[in-house]
Amino acid sequence: MSKKRNQQYKARIDQALATPKLQQALHQFGDAFLLAREKAFTGHDFEALRSNIAEMKDEVRENLDRYLDEFCHNATSAGATIHHAATAEEANDYIARLATAKGAKLAVKSKSMASEETHLNIALEKAGVKPLETDLGEWIIQLAGQRPSHMVMPAIHMFKEEVAELFGKETEQEEPAEIQHLVEVARQQLRQGYLDADIGITGANIAVAETGGIALVTNEGNARLTSTLPPTHVVLVGIDKLVPTLEDAARIIQILPKNATGQLLTSYVTWIRGAVPCGDETKDLHIVLLDNGRRKLAEAPSCKDALRCIKCGACANVCPVYQTVGGHVFGHIYIGAIGIILTAFYNGLDQAAELVRACIGCRACVAVCPSKIDLESIILSLREQVGDEEGIGLGKSLVFRKVMRNRKLFHSLIRAASLLQKPVTRGERTIRHLPLFFSSLTEWRTLPTVAEKPLRDLFDDLPQPVEQPRYRVAFYGGCANDFIYPELGVDLVTVMNTLNVLVSYPKEQNCCGVPALYSGDKETAVAMAKQNIDALLKDDPDFVLTTCPTCTMALQRDFVEHLADDPAWADKAKRLAAITVDAAGFIVNQLQGADQFTGLPGIEKVTYHDSCHLKRGAGVWREPRALIQSSGDELIEMEHADRCCGFGGSYSFTSHPDISKNILNDKIRDIEKSGADCVAMDCPGCLMQIRGGLEKQNLPTRALHTIELLAEKLRR
Amino acid sequence: MDFITQFCSAAEAVGTQVISCKSLQQAVDYIVEQVDGTLLCPSSSSGERIGLIDKLTKAGAELVTDSFRERAPTAKAGVTGANFGIADTGTIVLESTDEPTRLASTLPEQHFVLLDPEKIVADGIEAVAPLRDLHQLGARNFIAYITGPSRTADIERVLTIGVHGPKKLHILLVPGLSSDPMEN
Repeated sequence: MSKKRNQQYKARIDQALATPKLQQALHQFGDAFLLAREKAFTGHDFEALRSNIAEMKDEVRENLDRYLDEFCHNATSAGATIHHAATAEEANDYIARLATAKGAKLAVKSKSMASEETHLNIALEKAGVKPLETDLGEWIIQLAGQRPSHMVMPAIHMFKEEVAELFGKETEQEEPAEIQHLVEVARQQLRQGYLDADIGITGANIAVAETGGIALVTNEGNARLTSTLPPTHVVLVGIDKLVPTLEDAARIIQILPKNATGQLLTSYVTWIRGAVPCGDETKDLHIVLLDNGRRKLAEAPSCKDALRCIKCGACANVCPVYQTVGGHVFGHIYIGAIGIILTAFYNGLDQAAELVRACIGCRACVAVCPSKIDLESIILSLREQVGDEEGIGLGKSLVFRKVMRNRKLFHSLIRAASLLQKPVTRGERTIRHLPLFFSSLTEWRTLPTVAEKPLRDLFDDLPQPVEQPRYRVAFYGGCANDFIYPELGVDLVTVMNTLNVLVSYPKEQNCCGVPALYSGDKETAVAMAKQNIDALLKDDPDFVLTTCPTCTMALQRDFVEHLADDPAWADKAKRLAAITVDAAGFIVNQLQGADQFTGLPGIEKVTYHDSCHLKRGAGVWREPRALIQSSGDELIEMEHADRCCGFGGSYSFTSHPDISKNILNDKIRDIEKSGADCVAMDCPGCLMQIRGGLEKQNLPTRALHTIELLAEKLRR
Repeated sequence: MDFITQFCSAAEAVGTQVISCKSLQQAVDYIVEQVDGTLLCPSSSSGERIGLIDKLTKAGAELVTDSFRERAPTAKAGVTGANFGIADTGTIVLESTDEPTRLASTLPEQHFVLLDPEKIVADGIEAVAPLRDLHQLGARNFIAYITGPSRTADIERVLTIGVHGPKKLHILLVPGLSSDPMEN
């Protein structure tokens, strides 16, 4: 791993975290975006729309050359000159040479992320051509000498006072920091540029094979002027923007503005085919079709879905990491979750090495992606690649490969830790302070101790008064249940026994492998998948229950994927996946048992925190709420209930504790604001994070697993 | 809700001035009243048929009907027809391959659009058939979907009207103009 690159990255994080005004702006934007987006999609079936986009884009990817040929043939017939650019340099060279040949002095540009990707402006300047950005946001960052921090709103990180100062330098007079006025200044200042420019450069949101034309989706009107006034029009467009027909283009236009800005439609959609009239002549139209890593992406089995992206920017808008540090940290040229992936292919995996670890894995982006891209999974697979190429760090590697794969060694080390921690736990269940260089770990949350006796040691002594069980289920505890919260396992048995279900605890089970997988060590994750499949299927249980949604997703999804090509294991993995279910979902859906808890004593105001992997992974969010309500508690919804708590496993311990802390503080503010006495959740990781944060801030709100809440009532 | 009502409410929601006119004369009077300065009036077949230039001149408009390149930058407004409208987004579709039509609808601060309310389709998907037909009118095309005035939210995400394109978009619904979506 490049040490220097990593240090620069850390410095950018620190700088971003020191700008609370930016965080506040991005949080407000995220909230407003979700409201506007919801309104824009009223009456539309988002799932149907995005499935359609995904299917169409996949078909284009599989027949890319055929559609490219069709596009080029039609565009050429309409008088366009086509240039295929394999790399950014080739695209820049072509455009710079064209400009030189025309003796061009000034090129006006409308917003083009592709030109940001190729650093076209630098190439133009070298060729003696002045590039003038005309999109308001792009012009602002051009004046500031920066790069976009958002794909749709490039200057979202800047404030009106900064803009006023930049504009004042241009106009050589003081400009008041008043937005309407600043917009007018931009209009006046840039107007002459369109009229004087020798070349107009635009991107394209869509390239339509059927017509050989492009579509530009814009709001300001600058792309219309840029493509109309100068005698030459250069379109720089990625080959990923290709669609077969006008219907397909219309479907993208139907979903893009709604998902990008919450608009039903942008002010302008401009369809340009061929060399149209320009003054008394015809336009000299050049279309540069940019590859620059797109074909490589199309051929990467685990990443290729990313090529479906229609560049709406929504994955950033909803991302808690983006909202905390902004696009200059969480992105390279393209930002947000998709930015991480595109950076890896367009700019090189080394440029994305830190970014692939910056994703906390909450899947908020996956839920809003208009092209149905599983961004989290792709980022994970890239993390594996970085792990393979750069190593995951000697310490981690040792822990995963030598320790975790050897269950007995791993578990005996955890037991040892339980003894070693005594000097800092002072016999309590949480650690409030750690000494010396570990102190930062308990600065913003307390940490639970390793239990004196793990669940596996006390399980067989638990009385289970179930005469004729309805089901026999195996409990998959995961590390947290087994060694940190064994009482949660005991509670699960209490609750299940009440529902006439007998629980076993297969002792050969090991960690689900997610920590290794998330750190980029897939080999260890696969080894552990096999151990767990054997352990859990051994006694042929009716179901395998989980209380940790990250483990649930490992058993339900990851194991199947890891072992799909392994004939000895594929079917066993599928069998385990089919019978694995989270505890709350099991009670409500399999047992229809929600009403079993009615009339229990004690009423509390309870708010519910949705764990990322439970809601957006397993699709479970109604069930725990149903249980809380049926058990007589008053359910109060907090704001952003399904926003990540910032835990993310090693994310909060080693890779990005500062970002984790900020996301946790957002969550705690929402919990406090709800006025609830108790916050329930269904994930031991979230529990560790939220309980730790509440304790550290000395807040009285209790944090409990839904199963603990039910067991507590049953015992009353 | 019928297409006209839906069109009007969607257009108004994005800041378009929609005026339902009983007659062409009412539309002409409205335009003249709103414009203080030169008005770009590119030729169009429907415009010629209804005698738009004549009517505007008689009503006192200061018209530009040629040398658009030279005169467009200082013009105060532009008037065009529309091929058709899209109800769910309040959009007008304007075939503007002819450059004066583009200049009239991009450069000045105000854009007036004459639309026959008969020519409104349900949504962007319904619009594809006439859009495809518009592509058949010539080998090269510049076709614009226009939905409200020019806008930006690039400074602090505050919606601001009128950056580079028209600050005001007026859609004048005039019955009997043209029922042909291939004509603007």
